[in-house]
Amino acid sequence: MIEVENIKVAIGAVDILHDVSLRLEPGRLVTVIGANGAGKTTLLRTLSNVVTPHAGTIRFDGRPTAGIKPHVLARAGLVHVPQGRQIVPGLSVRDNLVIGADRVAGLDRDAIAAGLEREFARFPVLKERQHIPGGNLSGGEQQMLAVSRALMMRPKVLLLDEPSLGLAPQVVTTILKALRGLADDGLAVLLVEQLALLALSIADEAHVLQRGRVALSGPARDLRKDRAVIESYLG
Amino acid sequence: MTLVNFFQLLVSGIAMGAIYTITAKGLFITHLATHRLNFGQGDFLMVGAFASIGMLAAGVPAPLAVLGVLVLMGVLGYLLERFAIRPLDRLGDRAGAYSWVLTTAGAALILQNIVELGFGKSAQYAPPLFSKTRDNVINILGVGIFFEEAAIIIAAFLIVGAFYWFLFGTRWGKAVYAVAFNPEAASLFGIDVRGVVVLVFVLAALMAGISGVLVGPLVSVHPHMGLIFTIKALAVAAVGGFTNPVGILVGGLLFGVAEAFSNYWDSAFGDLYPLLFVMALLAFRPSGLFGERRADVR
Ligand SMILES: Nc1ncnc2c1ncn2[C@@H]1O[C@H](COP(=O)(O)OP(=O)(O)O)[C@@H](O)[C@H]1O
Ligand SMILES: [Mg+2]
Repeated sequence: MIEVENIKVAIGAVDILHDVSLRLEPGRLVTVIGANGAGKTTLLRTLSNVVTPHAGTIRFDGRPTAGIKPHVLARAGLVHVPQGRQIVPGLSVRDNLVIGADRVAGLDRDAIAAGLEREFARFPVLKERQHIPGGNLSGGEQQMLAVSRALMMRPKVLLLDEPSLGLAPQVVTTILKALRGLADDGLAVLLVEQLALLALSIADEAHVLQRGRVALSGPARDLRKDRAVIESYLG
Repeated sequence: MTLVNFFQLLVSGIAMGAIYTITAKGLFITHLATHRLNFGQGDFLMVGAFASIGMLAAGVPAPLAVLGVLVLMGVLGYLLERFAIRPLDRLGDRAGAYSWVLTTAGAALILQNIVELGFGKSAQYAPPLFSKTRDNVINILGVGIFFEEAAIIIAAFLIVGAFYWFLFGTRWGKAVYAVAFNPEAASLFGIDVRGVVVLVFVLAALMAGISGVLVGPLVSVHPHMGLIFTIKALAVAAVGGFTNPVGILVGGLLFGVAEAFSNYWDSAFGDLYPLLFVMALLAFRPSGLFGERRADVR
């Protein structure tokens, strides 16, 4: 679904990512873990074409994505839940949910209504609060809204940038469980996290990013056993 | 001043104020979405006024002339974004932070000179839009007011209403809010950010054009009339607090009415006092009467 081969990314004159490669298949939950500043956000922004790599290729659904605008990729099913959730504060919860799906070809009124019911069932608090401004939600509710807004677009690939950031542990668990469920239902999920052990506990496969390089890769089950190694990379 | 006099000035003031409001809406919407605005907004108004005079004089029926002005202004708005705004965005940090002030003001100078070539320097009057003669008076509660002014007020309020409906009720209006909040995030949930930027500049040009059509029968029209309208629209938007669309309506009406009374009181320098008042106001309340002060998210 997503193949990343040896991408190099620089912002200004500073090299941020060096030869990063990874693959993402439907039904798999892959996590990229790394310390603050390792380049996780930059990796996701590159996958969404917000940032252009100066070497390497990215393929989505078998086709190179070079030159495709971010909004076109999103409408085609490569949907990115950005760091900090980015809920539009002045729009209602419902408007925030619909704003992306509204622009996806093939999603008519009925499909959007069905999507709303599905997301309200996933996160019932969104149904209760659907008419209040998105800015009035708590951090955890905003993160649920951000995930649901992405799912409303019927993605093939879901990219998530630190959904746990600033949230209480129970909320983090709720959201990570939902992500595991989505992968089990066949979605390709790429989860970027700083909370390594939590991410490893739900992922199939993991990459450890350290100062812009993939320092370690493998099945999440194996990496989980090796706490000492992980802590040395994340420290 | 008699009571009748008072009401007549009030109606004239509201008519001009409603037009300032429409012009200022154009500044508001591009500022909201892009933090830029057209420093030639008043010159776009001037072009709208001349285009409608030209077409009406050539015998084009009024509804068609208005449609023609809208098409012309839409194209001008697109060209402004394409040539005065987009290249600067592409340059990113290499363009100075306020270079759009120069490019949009430069476009305004070009428009002034083109219109001067076509219509000459002298002032013109637009024929009335809504009635046969300029001095057609109707009687409301014993006060005679110009039919043209009353019709302009109604038209202006319909336009302001349509603008609110667009902003709060349509998917494009919501996209404008999403881009205003965070353009990168908006693109991640499928919004064509460049499309929204083009849209707001086209809308701003339409608002200027409509203002030009409406103001034509009320004031004398000449190629260099734009600057003062830009300044007044900026003043109205600043009083309204740039971020508050309802504030701009109130600000526009207050400004128009203040100006009408100020001109009655001092016919030589009447336009000056409301502007001085706005300057003083902004010195004490930089976010205007209705704007809330808040940190810029970008
Ligand atoms: N727009 C930018 N301009 C300059 N440097 C940046 C920019 N974005 C990120 N960086 C730098 O790139 C590195 C990786 O950042 P980021 O991708 O945000 O890491 P993470 O998400 O893992 O915390 C950091 O050193 C950061 O300072
Ligand atoms: Mg990050």
